[in-house]
Amino acid sequence: MGVRRVAIVGYAQTKHQWDMPKTREDMVFEVAKGAAEMAGVTREEIDTVINASSDYLDGRTISELFLTMPSGAYLKDYTKTEMDGAFAALYGVMKILAGTHDVALIVANTQGSTFNPHQVSYHMLDPTFDRQLKVLNDMAIAAIQARMYMDKYGVAEEEVAMVSVKNLWCAAKNPNAHRKMPGVTVEDVLGSKMLYEPIRELMMSPVSDGACAVVLASEEKARKLTDNPVWIEGVGSSQDFYVRDRNLQRLEALEKAARRAYRMAGIKDPFAEIDVAEVTERYAHEELMIYEALGFCEEGKARRLVDNYVTWLGGQMPVNPSGGALGADPITATGLIRIVEAAKQIRGEAGAYQVPEVRRALAHGQAGICAQSNIVFILGGEE
Amino acid sequence: MSEEEIVRAKSPIPFSAGFRWSVGEVMEHFIKSLGERKILGGKCPRCGYTYVPPRNRCGKCYSEIKPENLTELSGKGVLVGYTIAHVELDGVGNIKDLEEPLVIGAVKLDGADSTIFVPIGEVKPEEVKSGMRVEVAWREETEGEIGDIKYFKPAG
Amino acid sequence: MWRNVAVIGVGQTKHGRRRDVNTAEMISEAAWRAIEDAEIAPEDIDAIVIGNMQGFGGICQAELWAGDWIGAPGKSVLRVATGGTTGGSVAQAAMYSVISGLYDVVLAIGFEKHSDSKEPGATTGLAHVGLANLFYMFNYGAPMRALFALSGGVGAAAGVSSYQAMFYMHRSGCRIEHYDMVAAKSRRNAAKNEYAHLQWPNCTPDDIAKTPMVAYPLRFGHICPASDGASAIIVASEEIARRVDRPAWVKGLAACADEENQMGENAQGVGILDTSEQLQCRIAAMKAYEMAKIRNPREEIDVAEIYQPFPHQELMYAEKLMLFDDGKAWIALEEGETEIDGRIPIDPSGGVLSTNAIGSSAMQRVAECALQIMGKAGKHQVPKDVKNAVAHGWGGSTNFTVVTVLGDAPRR
Repeated sequence: MGVRRVAIVGYAQTKHQWDMPKTREDMVFEVAKGAAEMAGVTREEIDTVINASSDYLDGRTISELFLTMPSGAYLKDYTKTEMDGAFAALYGVMKILAGTHDVALIVANTQGSTFNPHQVSYHMLDPTFDRQLKVLNDMAIAAIQARMYMDKYGVAEEEVAMVSVKNLWCAAKNPNAHRKMPGVTVEDVLGSKMLYEPIRELMMSPVSDGACAVVLASEEKARKLTDNPVWIEGVGSSQDFYVRDRNLQRLEALEKAARRAYRMAGIKDPFAEIDVAEVTERYAHEELMIYEALGFCEEGKARRLVDNYVTWLGGQMPVNPSGGALGADPITATGLIRIVEAAKQIRGEAGAYQVPEVRRALAHGQAGICAQSNIVFILGGEE
Repeated sequence: MSEEEIVRAKSPIPFSAGFRWSVGEVMEHFIKSLGERKILGGKCPRCGYTYVPPRNRCGKCYSEIKPENLTELSGKGVLVGYTIAHVELDGVGNIKDLEEPLVIGAVKLDGADSTIFVPIGEVKPEEVKSGMRVEVAWREETEGEIGDIKYFKPAG
Repeated sequence: MWRNVAVIGVGQTKHGRRRDVNTAEMISEAAWRAIEDAEIAPEDIDAIVIGNMQGFGGICQAELWAGDWIGAPGKSVLRVATGGTTGGSVAQAAMYSVISGLYDVVLAIGFEKHSDSKEPGATTGLAHVGLANLFYMFNYGAPMRALFALSGGVGAAAGVSSYQAMFYMHRSGCRIEHYDMVAAKSRRNAAKNEYAHLQWPNCTPDDIAKTPMVAYPLRFGHICPASDGASAIIVASEEIARRVDRPAWVKGLAACADEENQMGENAQGVGILDTSEQLQCRIAAMKAYEMAKIRNPREEIDVAEIYQPFPHQELMYAEKLMLFDDGKAWIALEEGETEIDGRIPIDPSGGVLSTNAIGSSAMQRVAECALQIMGKAGKHQVPKDVKNAVAHGWGGSTNFTVVTVLGDAPRR
């Protein structure tokens, strides 16, 4: 990937929860400081700061206005990306690759309790038509997608519920996760509130408050800061057509994004060459579609990976050992958290949900309704 | 033009945020035609992809789509997917239970390639099936606005 | 590591009240004009960077809907939004995208559709989420009436700008007549720019002085409009740029945040509450000039496009951009140095004072500098050799700045 290499050298995240008893600014300060401390960099050594926050979700225009200070951006090069934080990480990577900056601090935050992200999804729709019909939002469309996928491949709702059980069981081991449901069963999931058939409450990510920060560094700087840098080996992103004109039955944009990331990282057989994946599954059925788009299995066969415990912690290809988005979903921070969780696996810091011997990890973030826009990172530890 | 409900802030600051979006030329034709109980599609002159509602640029091949490329559709189509809603959002972020479940369908109109997402009426939730034929149900008095489409219903 | 990149194409919509198009169509107009101007095929574009201030137009992440109009499907799409500087931040993100080596051709678009809001001008956007700005206004003791009057025409930080205009007058010794002169020049220049909003061919300072006072020292004629519009640039790698006649090379870029200046009591900081100090602008300018190897901006910069929704800002920022000594810009203005045919033309396009679609405005500064270098600025082309141009963007509440230096040759 060009002449320069970029590594993750520090990170921090909040304990994600509903209606956090902290202001947005305090939450951001906590993670910005935490990430810098872990990386061992002073505020002066940070060359550029990138916030990821959404005006709509934060309920304020120029949402980054009061966040520059707690992000440590005083008198620094600064910008804000207004979508999933994993895209902000991409921008940080680009600034370092450009040679103009050596250390980048990426901070993503959302307090979902401010303005329900599902309500916000309604505002993403075409205002001249779809919004005028007044019934649509991301839950309704995801439900339509779930029904289409399940009918096409004969997937039972128990199998979809298994994804929830897998992720929530892992989330219970994750001190930062929002949902803590240690003994959750398929029956619990199938007994949770029906929202838009077939989607029930426990098949959908929770509305969380949370923040996450990552310190990126150029190779030269990374080697001075740590013996255990996590290298960015590949990245790819792609946006799909708008919901009326895309194939809802497949995550085509994720497929493209993954292919680009694999090509950059030199990966030919993702299932064999990747040791763990942290993906953003806003809905349980979405995780099945994600396996297929990432090339872990053929189309329609994703449920086997869950049925046969392949993607469970302890399986051949653990997916979301942290609990994923079903465990905590502070929207704008979620993709950046996936990057952090993947990095933790590589560095052996994942505690109770550590996957043994991780050399290579995949992290995925998304934006828009039903993963319209996707970004995939391939991370690698030292050889 | 299309309207959005005004969200009133619950504070002493007398603000409300309302929007009134201009829809553009091809969409104006579409909306006016609803008054005549017609559903128009926009067919790309180069690749033939037909959009509902119509748009002035093809997303697949980048050609411009003009008013003369608008084509009248039958208003009938296939239900390619659906969900049964038991809740709704109240506009300010709360999930509220619906008194009656509502069927929301993904419909592919005959002669068009886009999928539209519309409420489905005059059908019991347990009788809805993917692959069903559906057709538009018009408002009694059409006025040349989006609300003229009441919902879609099983085709006779 | 750094590799040279250039702006190879520019596209803009007519800015004004655009009820004839929806937001997606408006974005599309600018994007396709830029693609045509760059003489590339849409398939050549690797990535898109786009931004606006969402609350103003009432569409969250409009690129998810509008993307289909501009060839986004299948491409990497990045949304960047930083208030008034959005367009400049979007342009810089596109530049970093190509300099990084990850992409070779990137389309960058800034846009805003104020007329979609029910309240006049930018009031809805301000009202929707203007809390931060309201606090500042109230901190200064400004009444709600003034906020509405100012926001009828403008974007964020409207109220504070009247205080900034006073601070500048006090620091520099200029008079309100100089603000009338800047505004008149802007309207006259805008009349030569087919895409500008408020065009007034023979506008004189007296014409401006006759308009009613809104919040001293800002008159109605001093205030920028709330326009609908979009502007776009295509940024390309050196290899691709060399196929174009006269690309506008990116020589330096920087951004700097000093919102803490205003935090004061609110965030337990110690604020130096002189909004005309603009330390971050000076820092960003120094960084950008250093990158561009420009040692004497006064001599080496041939044209400047400054983000000036209010007339005092044209003078104030010209000084922070080191084109004049502190407090002396108004003398150069008096002597005609900043006219289109002057020694150092400022805002030959008319600038933000005459055209303000917020998400587009800072992008237009970059686009206009590129047009000047490429020799494509039509009736408002400055009649001199343009070797270096500086594009400036201002936003946040009062203290966020982006500075981009473009030139007719890549940096050595």
